[in-house]
Amino acid sequence: MSAIEELITELARLPGIGRKTAQRLTFHLLQQPAEQVGRLAAALTGVSERVRACTECGNLTEEQPCAICRDPRRDPAVLCVVEEPSAVSVVDRATEFRGRYHVLGGRLSPLDGVGPESLRIAPLLERVDRGGVREVILATNPSMEGEVTATYIQQLLAGRGLRVTRLARGLPVGGDLEYVDGVTLQHALSARQEIG
Amino acid sequence: MTLVTTPAIVLSALRYGETSKIVRLATRELGVQSAIAKGALRPRSRFGAALQLLSDGVAQLLTKEHRELHVLTAFDITRVPVGLAADVGRYAAASALAEVMLRFAPADPHAASYDLLRDALGLLEVTPPAALDQIALRTLWRLVSVLGFAPALESCARDGQPLPPDGALPFNTREGGALCAACAARHGASSLPPDARADLTALLDPAGELPLLDQRHAASHRRLLSRYIRFHLGEGAELPALEFWLRRPWTVA
Ligand SMILES: [Zn+2]
Ligand SMILES: [Zn+2]
Repeated sequence: MSAIEELITELARLPGIGRKTAQRLTFHLLQQPAEQVGRLAAALTGVSERVRACTECGNLTEEQPCAICRDPRRDPAVLCVVEEPSAVSVVDRATEFRGRYHVLGGRLSPLDGVGPESLRIAPLLERVDRGGVREVILATNPSMEGEVTATYIQQLLAGRGLRVTRLARGLPVGGDLEYVDGVTLQHALSARQEIG
Repeated sequence: MTLVTTPAIVLSALRYGETSKIVRLATRELGVQSAIAKGALRPRSRFGAALQLLSDGVAQLLTKEHRELHVLTAFDITRVPVGLAADVGRYAAASALAEVMLRFAPADPHAASYDLLRDALGLLEVTPPAALDQIALRTLWRLVSVLGFAPALESCARDGQPLPPDGALPFNTREGGALCAACAARHGASSLPPDARADLTALLDPAGELPLLDQRHAASHRRLLSRYIRFHLGEGAELPALEFWLRRPWTVA
C-alpha cells in the first residue's frame, strides 16, 4: 500500500470521517510544510503515549491520579458516575458540581457483548467500600442502555448506606413544548415537581 | 423509490457520523431492515428521543430495490418500554429476543415474528417477577418456533414417527428435538425427563399454563434453549445477549 493510501485508510477509520473526507484531509496535509505535519504526528504520538485512564476515577489524564482526584477542594464524598471521559468535562464545565467523578468506560449493552465486567463497576464498589462516600449520582445517558446501567449500579449500591441519585430527565431549558417529543414530555410529566 | 409505512421496533441504533444514526428495525411489512436516520443526533431532530433501543413505533422508510440501507424519514413512537430498563433481568431477556430477531429473522415480510416480538416486549415489561423466568423462556422458544425452528416433541425429529404421549423422551439438540427409540439408538440422545418434557411442552404452548420452575429447573431450561438456538440458528456466530441472559451477571449483585 502506498503512503498516501495508508493515511487515507487510517483517517477513514475515525468516527464521522468517510473515505472522501479522508482523501481531502490527506491531500490537505500533503500541501502543508513538513514541520506542521511533524507537529501533528508528534501530538498524536504524545496523546497515545502519555494519556492514560486515572487509576482512581477512570478519567483521562497525564498524571496519576488525575487533577480532579488530586484537588483537595473537591468533595470526595460525592461521586458522579458517567459513561465516558468526555462526559466529565461536559458536566464539569456546565455545572456547579464540585465532587469527584467515576468513569465507567461505557454502558451495559448485552447486544454488543458489554457486560458489567467490561465496565469499571468493580472499582466503583471498591471506592465506595473504602468509605467516605456519601452520595453517588448516576449520570449515565438517558438512553435505554444508560438507564439499565443505572439500574444495575443502583442495585449493587443498595444496602451500602449511601444516597443514590439519578439525573432528572425533562424539558430542555429555553425549549418550546410544541417541539418536545412525546417521550421526553412523558418523562417530564412523571418527574414533575411541587412548586408551592 | 418507494415510501413504505410500517410498524417497527428498534433493534439497534449506532451513531453514524456526527449527527446521524443507523438503525436496524424489525418491521412488520419488510422484515428486518437497516436504515439511516439523518440528523437523528441533532438537538432538535424530528426523531427526538424516539430511536431508543426496543422502542416501538411506526416507521416511514424510503426504500430502493436491491439497496441494503434505506432512509428512515420518520419514526412515530408508540411506546418506549421504560419498564425494561428498570430491571436488568427483564432487559436481558428483551435483548436476547432482539438478538434472535436481528440475527435470524428474514429481510422479507414476516409479520408473525414482528407481532411476537412486540407482544413479548410488552409482556416482559409487566410480568410479575415470579413469572419472569418462564415468560422469558416461553417468548424465546416461541420466537424460535415462529422463525421455523420449533423443536419436535410429538413426533421424531428425524423420521416423523409419533412419540409416546408421556414419559421421558430422547432429545437431540442437533437433530432438532425428540427422537424415536430407533433414531435415538442410531444418532444418540440425552434423556429429557418426564417433568422437563411437560415443562417444555407448556413453555412452547402460548395458551398453556406457565410451568412452575424452581431455580435449578429454570437454569437447565435456559441452558437447553441456549444450546438449541446456538445450534440451529447460531452457526458459530457470537450471541452476546443470549449469553448475558444465560449467565445472569445481575443476580450476583
Ligand atoms: Zn481521577
Ligand atoms: Zn425416528
